[in-house]
Amino acid sequence: MSKFFKETLYDAVCQEFRVDKMYFENKTDHQHLMIFHNAQLGRVMTLDGVVQTTEADEFIYHEMMAHVPILAHGKAKRVLIIGGGDGGMLREVVKHRVEHVTQVEIDQAVVDMAKEYLPRHSNGAYDDPRLNLVIADGMDFVKSHAEHCINHEDEKFDIIISDSTDPIGPGEVLFSDNFYALAKNCLHDDGIMTTQNGVPFFQKDEIQNTYQRMGTQFSDIGFYVAPVPTYYGGFMTFAWGTNSKARDIKRASLRERFNAAKLGTRYYNPDIHKAAFALPQYIINAIDEVRSE
Amino acid sequence: MIAPSTNRTITYTTDASQQQDYAALVEKHGSPLLVYSADILKRQYQSLNNALPDVDIYYAVKAHPNAAIINTIDELGGGFDIASAGEMDLLLEQKISGRRTIHTHPIKKDQEIRDALRFGATTFVVDNIDELKKLIPYKSRVGILLRLSFRSKNAKIDLSKKFGCDLLEAEEITLEAEKLGLHIKGFSFHVGSQCESPSKHVEAIEACHQLMLKLNNILKQPLSTLDIGGGFPADYSLSGFDIDAFCQPINDALQKLPRDWHLLAEPGRYLVAPSVTSITTISGKSLRHGIRWYYLDDGVYGSYSGQIFDHTNYPLQIPRTGETYPSIIAGPTCDSIDIVAEDIALPELQIGDLIIGLQMGAYTAATKTRFNSLPDAKFISI
Ligand SMILES: Cc1ncc(COP(=O)(O)O)c(C=O)c1O
Repeated sequence: MSKFFKETLYDAVCQEFRVDKMYFENKTDHQHLMIFHNAQLGRVMTLDGVVQTTEADEFIYHEMMAHVPILAHGKAKRVLIIGGGDGGMLREVVKHRVEHVTQVEIDQAVVDMAKEYLPRHSNGAYDDPRLNLVIADGMDFVKSHAEHCINHEDEKFDIIISDSTDPIGPGEVLFSDNFYALAKNCLHDDGIMTTQNGVPFFQKDEIQNTYQRMGTQFSDIGFYVAPVPTYYGGFMTFAWGTNSKARDIKRASLRERFNAAKLGTRYYNPDIHKAAFALPQYIINAIDEVRSE
Repeated sequence: MIAPSTNRTITYTTDASQQQDYAALVEKHGSPLLVYSADILKRQYQSLNNALPDVDIYYAVKAHPNAAIINTIDELGGGFDIASAGEMDLLLEQKISGRRTIHTHPIKKDQEIRDALRFGATTFVVDNIDELKKLIPYKSRVGILLRLSFRSKNAKIDLSKKFGCDLLEAEEITLEAEKLGLHIKGFSFHVGSQCESPSKHVEAIEACHQLMLKLNNILKQPLSTLDIGGGFPADYSLSGFDIDAFCQPINDALQKLPRDWHLLAEPGRYLVAPSVTSITTISGKSLRHGIRWYYLDDGVYGSYSGQIFDHTNYPLQIPRTGETYPSIIAGPTCDSIDIVAEDIALPELQIGDLIIGLQMGAYTAATKTRFNSLPDAKFISI
C-alpha cells in the first residue's frame, strides 16, 4: 500500500506527495516531523503537515537566501543564521570566504536528525571550523547578543539570515517587532538581514506584517522573490532589510564577486539577483495596502 | 428474556458459554473491564455509511477518545470531529493527518486555533461574529462552517441550547464574513444527541438548504458544505433499532440538495455505543432494610459516569435467574450517589458474579473521574 502525504496548509486546496519510503517520523510536544522519500523530489522533510524542504528544490531557496545578501554586501566576515537546522543554509554560507558563522538552532535533535536523514543538505558543513553552533531559542540569542554587542562592536554580524518555520508554528516570535529590533542591534551599520517570508499569493498578510514590523528598523525594507516549486503558490518572498545601499549594487560588481566566489550555483546568478527585486504587481499592491495605513 | 424496568432494560441470562467468555476475560485481565469489539464498530460504521451514502462520516472523538477506536475509524477511511488540543494529540499519536479532521468547537482561544492549524485542521466551526473575527489572521488558510441552532424536544441531550445561531443571525453573520474577507463554506448543526426521531434533522436540513440557496444568490463565494452533526441514537432498550428507517427521511431531504454540495456528519454515539461492553464484579453484598445491596467494582464515577452526565441508563445483563427480590446495584466509591441501578428486582446474586453493561461505548469512559483514586476499568480489545 503506498501512502500519501497531504499538505494541510489550506482548506480549499492541497498538494499531495507519495511517500515511497518513510525514513523518520517523530511526534513531540504537539509537533509532527517527517522525512520521507518521494520518487520525484528525493527526500522530503515536513513539519506539522507542511513541506519544509525537499532535496530536489532546496537549492533555490538556500542559494537565494544566502548569496543575495552576502554578495550584495561584498565583504561580509561574520554571518548569523537563525534556524536552518537542516544545514542547507549553512552549506551555502560556508562557500563564501567569511571568517565566522554562528548558527542558532532551537533543537539539537533537528540538527542530528538532518545530518543523518538529509545529509546532502549540510554536505559536511556542520564540520566547518568557522562554525559556532548554538542550541538556543533564536529570540533569546539575539536578546543576549545585542546586549553583548554594546561593548563588543566587533562581534556584530554583517549578515543575519532568519531561516524559520512559518509564523503559525514555533517560529512565531521570529516574525515579531521585538525580534527585528534586537536583530538589528546585532548587525553592523552596513549589515543586511534577510528572512523567509512565505508565499504571498496565498498569504499576503505575512508580507504585510513583515513590511510593517521590519520597516521600523531599516531604511531599506523590501522583498525579493524566487519560485520554489514545493512551496505551493508561485513566488516565495524573502524580506530584505538594511540601512546600507546594498540593494543598488551594480551588476558588474556583482558579477565580479560572483565569479570570484566560485559558488557552483544552480539557481543564483547576478542577473537573477537583480531581477529578483522586481516584484509582481499583486505583491506591490499588498505592500501598498499597508504602506498608506 | 427481556424485562424492562424503570427506563432500563435488564436481561437475565444463564447462557453458560457466554458466562464462561466473560469469566475468562476477567481471569486474564482482571476486573472491571471495558471490552471493545472493532468488528461491531465496523458494522455500525458500514450501516451508517449505507444509510447515508452521500455523507462523509467524521467520528466525534469526544464520544470515546481511545486509540483503538480511532485506529478502527482510520482503517475504515473515516474522518474525525475534534474539539480540543487533547483530542488532536490523540490523533497525532496515531499518526493521523489533520487533513482528515474538522474542528467543531464553536468557542476557541487564539492559541487553540493556532494549535489546530499546526495540527493540520483547516475546517473550523463558529456561531457568532466575535468567534468569526478570531479567524481573520488565518483567513487564507481556513474553511469556516457556521453552526445553526435547532432546538429539539425529541433528543435526550439538547445540543442547540449552548451553541448555534438562529436563521436570521446566520444570514447576518454570513454576509458580514464576506465583508471581512472570510469564507464561510457552509452550515452545520447539531440537533441533539440520542434523537428519538429524525424529524429535527430533516427540518434543519430543509431550513439550511433554503437559506444557503438564498444566500448563494448574493454571495460571491457560494456556501456548499452542510454538516448534519450527530444525534443518531444507540439502542439502549435493545429492541432492535433500524438505522435505514431512521435515515430514510434524512436521506430524502439530502437528495434535494444540489449534487455538488459536500455533506458531512459527526456521529459519535451510534458508532461506538454497541462496540463496548462493561464487565464488573460484585465485590460485596448486604441486606439492609429488606433490600439487597450489591457493590460493584465500577460505578458512576467510572465507566457508568454516563448515567450522570449523559442521562443514560445502560442495559444490564444479570447472570442468574429465579425468584427476585428488591435490589440495588451500587458502585465502589463512598458516595451515596454512586448507584448504578435501584428500584429493581433481581434474583439473589453472589459475590464474584459478573454484571455486564451493554451499549457502553459512548460517553462512558469519556467522562470518568478519579474520585476515590479508584483504578480505571481496563480497556481491552477482542
Ligand atoms: C459538535 C458535536 N458533534 C458531534 C457530537 C456527537 O453526537 P452524537 O454522539 O449524538 O452522534 C457532539 C456531541 O456532543 C457534538 O457536540
